[in-house]
Amino acid sequence: MQLDFVNRELTIKLVYYGPALSGKTTNLQALHKAAEPGASGRLMTLETRDDRTLFFDLLPLTFRNQGSLAVRLKVFTVPGQVIHASTRRLVVQGADGIAFIADSRSAETQHNAESFIDLKENLKQHGLTLKQMPVVIQFNKRDLPEVRSDAEIAELASHGREPVYLAVAMRGQGVVESFVGLLHLTWSALDAEHDLNKKFGFDSDAFLQTVAKKLGDPRPLRDILGACVGGALDVLKPEAG
Amino acid sequence: MTAPPLPQKSLDELTLGGNVALEDLVSRDGLTEVVKSANELFGLPIRVFAEDGKLLADAAESVELYAYLNTSRSGRAALSEVVAAVKALAPGPEGEAEYTCVTGARYRVAAIIYDSRQIGRMILGPFSADPSAGPPASLLALDPQLDTDNLRALHRKLPQSSEQTVSLVARHLARVLDLLLFSGHRALLTSNMHLASVRESFRELEDKNQKLQVAYDRLKELDRLKSNFLATVSHELRTPLTSIIGYSEMLVEGLAGELTSEQRDFVQTIRDKGDQLLALIKGLLDLSKLESGTMSLRKNQVDVAALVKDVVTTMTPTARKKEVELAFEVEKGLPAIWADAERLRQVLLNLTENAIKFTPVSGSVRLTAKIAGMDAQTGGDAGGMVLLGARRTAVELRVLDTGIGIPENERSRVFDAFYQVDSSSTREVGGTGLGLSIVKRLVDAHDGAVRIEANEPRGAVFVVTIPVRRATIG
Repeated sequence: MQLDFVNRELTIKLVYYGPALSGKTTNLQALHKAAEPGASGRLMTLETRDDRTLFFDLLPLTFRNQGSLAVRLKVFTVPGQVIHASTRRLVVQGADGIAFIADSRSAETQHNAESFIDLKENLKQHGLTLKQMPVVIQFNKRDLPEVRSDAEIAELASHGREPVYLAVAMRGQGVVESFVGLLHLTWSALDAEHDLNKKFGFDSDAFLQTVAKKLGDPRPLRDILGACVGGALDVLKPEAG
Repeated sequence: MTAPPLPQKSLDELTLGGNVALEDLVSRDGLTEVVKSANELFGLPIRVFAEDGKLLADAAESVELYAYLNTSRSGRAALSEVVAAVKALAPGPEGEAEYTCVTGARYRVAAIIYDSRQIGRMILGPFSADPSAGPPASLLALDPQLDTDNLRALHRKLPQSSEQTVSLVARHLARVLDLLLFSGHRALLTSNMHLASVRESFRELEDKNQKLQVAYDRLKELDRLKSNFLATVSHELRTPLTSIIGYSEMLVEGLAGELTSEQRDFVQTIRDKGDQLLALIKGLLDLSKLESGTMSLRKNQVDVAALVKDVVTTMTPTARKKEVELAFEVEKGLPAIWADAERLRQVLLNLTENAIKFTPVSGSVRLTAKIAGMDAQTGGDAGGMVLLGARRTAVELRVLDTGIGIPENERSRVFDAFYQVDSSSTREVGGTGLGLSIVKRLVDAHDGAVRIEANEPRGAVFVVTIPVRRATIG
């Protein structure tokens, strides 16, 4: 997070993490497509010739709030392929929140787990733990055959601390919900640490509602946040020290 | 060597921070070209300024009216006021602002916005939006010394453009610039990520290297400890064993009274096994000395032919007992080699004994000696033969057998201590598995080389190459 008091600007870094080909870039593309003109900048992709992400994708989103605080969101993806370990470590540095995009297919279960361990390891390298980091998990590609069942995911999610979302990013389903959930969790953590709401006269719920609306979701915030299975959207507080 | 720390902030600075400057992303020359091309297309003077007010691109020809005004004092003063006013013109929240100067000409200022931040301004103008209106009174009244007809004529020559066109040009330029800035930013990020990734990979490798080095040092230390332990234990074992052998010898010789033939047989067995054990301990001791590099070689000029003959003579009874033919062949005129005769004899004895051991009845074992080029033998011409070939002449000793042979993939491992190709054969033919590892180390200590080849149609050939002279180079 970067705070510019003079220009009343807050920059938050969100990272979409996950195994190769799980749909991280597709999530960003869907967000970019859904965003109102003016809210989103160009989606920058640094990709190889075969359309795989080489370094990262970057989607800048900017929202101005009633407290005249400009919130700039920089949404990154990491390259999922195993060989890009060092790049992932660089991109995840300084992240304020992480959306972990998992591939729903049963055959990908192992890759999902390996990537999550990789995330944990990379956070550790930066002196962070998963407990300190706002994380949401998205099970993408729900429309494919041979995916893990809703019931199985719900059962596992009910034991976990991270909110879990089901999505078909190719069709934009579940993308905004995951994003708003992540932003909510991230904002709560940053607010608990920096007292942002009070300092800037900021109404975070109204802000989240605006964000959802500008991303094309007119539903009440409660409904959007309620779209997750398992986990908890209000328990995350930064560890003391 | 310590690994460099994680690169700090490079990516964040470039993506999160607000300090991206126009000039970081596009070159001045490129910007000037774009602006000039727009100027040619629409006839509008255009200038681009950085956020700090620095002029980055200028496509504005001199305006004749202004040149004329500059000839009068009050004209000059009025113009400098215009320049100051235009420079101070800030595009409002809409991103645009306009100014009409004393000549009636207009200026349009548009913000250059990237990533929702203003990073520069462009100024379009002066232009005249309505030429039919003529010069304003303020221009004509500026200085009585200025000729009004001339002023009217020059006013007509001001660049002309409708308000709408100016808006379109400004918007078009903003879009072109946005694309240029985006591409520039992307390229900047890519190259920075390349560098950062390489640095990060380097750091990771350094880290791993360091860990490997620590592990390697530890292993080396363990190896040294093992050799020390081996040397000490062997030495301690040898002392009581010598007594056992000595006393059993005395018993056999009847120094303690006559023995029955059965008693003599038993004591003789104790003696024989004692000798075997001693040989094994000596082998271990040799090995540990060779490994720790404490074995001293007494090198001298050694006559290879005599040595081979001696080994064959020594081994003939063993060969005969196993009904294996033993022969040798030494090239005439072999030079003497610089070696420890006793150790070299040990090498040949060991190889010959092995060969006999693994050769079936009515097979044959042959020893040969001839002169050879050292480097030519160890891998053909790997380049620079003309320079290196003559460097070291060597004597090549071969022990050929017609035994079971050694598979190619086992050939490098048979020289490891305690290794045997087929452990089941150990029980059949005996042996400690130490012999070949000692051979290898003894040959190494002579700057020589030992390798294994196949003997056609069956069997193995051990080839030992010992340089004629001491290695003085390399």
